[in-house]
Amino acid sequence: MKYLQTMNRKKLVVGLIYLGLLWFLLVMLVIPNINTVLFVFWQDGQFTLRAFERVLNSTRAMNALRNSFVLAPALSITVGFIGVSLVLITEYFAVKGSKILRLGYMTTLVYGGIILVSGYRFLYGRGGYLTNIFAAINPYFNVNWFEGFWAVLFVMTFATTGNHIIFLRNAMSAVDYQTVEAAKNMGAKQFTILRRIVLPVLIPPLLAVTIFTFMTALTATSAPLLVGGLNFQTINPMILQFSRMAGSRDLAALMAVFLGVATLILVALLSRLEKRGHYLSASKVKTSIVKQKIHNPVVNVLVHVYAYFMFVVYVAPVVLIILFSFTNSATIGRGQLSFSAFTFENYVNVFSRVSSYRPILVSVGFSLAASIAVAVVVIVVCRMITKHKNRLSTVIEYGFMIPWLLPAVLVALGLITTFNQPRWFMMNRVLTGTMIIMVIGYMIIRIPFTLRITRAAFFALDDALEDAARNLGAKSLYTFFRVILPIILPSVLAIFALNFSQLMQDFDMSVFLYHPLNMPLAVQIQTLTEEAAADNTAITFVYAVLMMVVSTVVLYLVYGRGSKVRE
Amino acid sequence: MISLSNIKVCFGDFVALHDISMTVEKGEFFTLLGPSGCGKTTTLRTITGFIKPEIGSVKVGDEEITHLEVEKRNIGMVFQNYALFPTMSVYENIAFGLKVKKMGKAEIKSKVDEIASKVELDQDQLGKKISQLSGGQQQRVAIARALVTSPPIICLDEPLSNLDAKLRVQLRNELKELQRKFGITTIYVTHDQEEALTLSDRIAVFNKGKIEQIGRPDEVYNQSASEFVCNFIGDINKLSKDFLDKAGAGQRGIDTNKSCYIRLERMYVNNHQENHIDSEAVVENFEYYGLYIKYTINAGGTQLKVIEKNSGASMYKMGESIKISFDPASVMQF
Ligand SMILES: Nc1ncnc2c1ncn2[C@@H]1O[C@H](COP(=O)(O)OP(=O)(O)OP(=O)(O)O)[C@@H](O)[C@H]1O
Ligand SMILES: [Mg+2]
Repeated sequence: MKYLQTMNRKKLVVGLIYLGLLWFLLVMLVIPNINTVLFVFWQDGQFTLRAFERVLNSTRAMNALRNSFVLAPALSITVGFIGVSLVLITEYFAVKGSKILRLGYMTTLVYGGIILVSGYRFLYGRGGYLTNIFAAINPYFNVNWFEGFWAVLFVMTFATTGNHIIFLRNAMSAVDYQTVEAAKNMGAKQFTILRRIVLPVLIPPLLAVTIFTFMTALTATSAPLLVGGLNFQTINPMILQFSRMAGSRDLAALMAVFLGVATLILVALLSRLEKRGHYLSASKVKTSIVKQKIHNPVVNVLVHVYAYFMFVVYVAPVVLIILFSFTNSATIGRGQLSFSAFTFENYVNVFSRVSSYRPILVSVGFSLAASIAVAVVVIVVCRMITKHKNRLSTVIEYGFMIPWLLPAVLVALGLITTFNQPRWFMMNRVLTGTMIIMVIGYMIIRIPFTLRITRAAFFALDDALEDAARNLGAKSLYTFFRVILPIILPSVLAIFALNFSQLMQDFDMSVFLYHPLNMPLAVQIQTLTEEAAADNTAITFVYAVLMMVVSTVVLYLVYGRGSKVRE
Repeated sequence: MISLSNIKVCFGDFVALHDISMTVEKGEFFTLLGPSGCGKTTTLRTITGFIKPEIGSVKVGDEEITHLEVEKRNIGMVFQNYALFPTMSVYENIAFGLKVKKMGKAEIKSKVDEIASKVELDQDQLGKKISQLSGGQQQRVAIARALVTSPPIICLDEPLSNLDAKLRVQLRNELKELQRKFGITTIYVTHDQEEALTLSDRIAVFNKGKIEQIGRPDEVYNQSASEFVCNFIGDINKLSKDFLDKAGAGQRGIDTNKSCYIRLERMYVNNHQENHIDSEAVVENFEYYGLYIKYTINAGGTQLKVIEKNSGASMYKMGESIKISFDPASVMQF
């Protein structure tokens, strides 16, 4: 029977694809993490709690733990306060120039992570532009002021409010203006309305985003590394240090597992919060917010002053980085801008020296490879879970969300400790220190986001299209490439661009997995920053500007015109 | 042309189709009619091959196709929302089936042009995107796409259901026109009885996965085979035993213990004919439709509806006493 033959061939192909996905799931996402846990509890063939003892006896480790748990709540508070105030300024109150202000507050979306930290360090750190200004005004000014807890808190506050603002802005649009008018109609005062009507709507999303901030603080890497100084190192930098010393790997693993457990708890909390749901507007016709004029003139002036002060805080580093990137190293060294110092020299230098442009190529290469690979794997996963609804596809669907539950360090450590020796399930290839492990690491951290958005695109597809194609005689593969793929392509490209831009900036994963000969951009920036020579600074500024350009272009392409993707 | 015999389809434990048998003749416009969830789409998907029946067979002519894959069946299909490919132009949509068959470019072009002119799509529209077309134009593209490979049969699953009422009537007529023009065997799914009655050569009335009756529109309307069919199609009065007994229907060949029904238009007001059964009634309410007036009347405790053509003369008033009558042969008994 020919019919049976084709049936069997189809089954074979589907089976092989499942096998491949299952292999990826087990070998990349499950085994390395189990291995890390084993690494902690299982030494020389027996169960042990030695790693615990060692962590408890290590002052540095204990300090790092304590610091993280000081930073997390502190950051939640500062980010919460600044985030809410900025959203009220741009979305709720009538503040002059709110569009410009909003753009300014969003700049941290374009330059996040390591660029922001190193930028802030160059401005506020010892010998930095602003520190010099402060020192000139006040001779007793402590030029080392930008170090330790407050510096980390300061940097991270501004680094993380960007996401916060986006999230709250969406929540703000859920406020039904009719309820505000109703309250006014009943004679409520302006700030009573804010407190009793508007803020309660914001509370559930605020809680969610606070948990998110808490998680970010726990897994902070670049900020404490660059501006924490000796006294304020947190968990991740500590793990990094430990993982580099052969004798301390178990400590690193234990702390990573600890971080993983903490993340897991927070994610569980987050999903419970989401299940409880948000306040839904009861009215059928929602009226959007009309900006509220602040009646009290004193408060009005104060709010405006605060708004513009914050604007300067946000925008100054970006502007200065861009300006300084066009000045010579001497100017940067002195930290004094002058018009005559304007030059393209730094850009020419970066692109004419192999050692300077190599990190760019490395990052572009890894990011490109990983973005493509993750897109392909996730599309296959989504195709399987939408076409076949069975237990295996469910396992794969949830399995691929595993990285969402794990901090990047844990993933990185898992990969390192698992593939530093030949494993039969990896065809006996050692991966640690190779280029492949970088690509794998990059892929893994982008899987959850990619999967969520791609899956949404697949579920939005009309099943009838595929039926129609088959009815017209098209085979499954032909249908996929000619009908399905073109429809989801805009989403896929958007995700690809976002992944690429995020990976170009990645530090947390890169710093664990890179090979000294193939240093990605973010790691290079960190190295240059540590050496703190004026020449290095100039190169860093050029890198920073390039990264900003990439992410601005990507964000504009994806969100700027009729957005297709929402996170 | 196409026949189903003893088809049984299950989804898990749920039996969606029990023992479906029907034969559609060449060139016929055959409609599957029934309420939501009765198995119309399932039947159509069994014919097109998306669903494989547990038991039974599907034949086109003498060829058994029960287990033939979807891609190889060449049975045209128009989907409820048309399922036009949004990333392709109108031309590419229509050409899709030919391209899959690896036909030459020139041949594809001539075939697409030919079918396009038959469904009255001009060259300008062929270059457009799907989203730039109106609902009616989309329907014609969907039909052209289904017909371009010259399938012997075309299936349409509620192609008019998501259009507004006026367009629906207009496209219904267009559809019938096209079907005549192509002379193609058509299997049409709808839950709209008016659509079924106006379009079809024959109708199969479905209920809970079974066929209740197959017949011409006038047959299913006037000689409904079951209580379900007569209730589902058109408006109808149920005659209570009490009413029939009082009117002396028992002596006129009506078994008053059965469920008895009569169409609204078969009841006459103040217009007694020789062999009629009659009864006194009072006007309780009326609905004015322009073309006719529908009265709700009370005949000794039984509520009934009657319609009167709008002759322009004065209407019956509420509370007015009237005399109604009907031919016992018009009563359907189950
Ligand atoms: N894939 C499926 N899995 C399980 N049950 C199904 C499936 N498809 C259809 N059914 C069930 O089979 C029954 C018949 O469905 P079908 O779609 O044929 O109804 P229909 O007559 O086309 O109704 P409608 O007018 O709503 O389109 C319904 O009860 C439906 O719930
Ligand atoms: Mg249906």
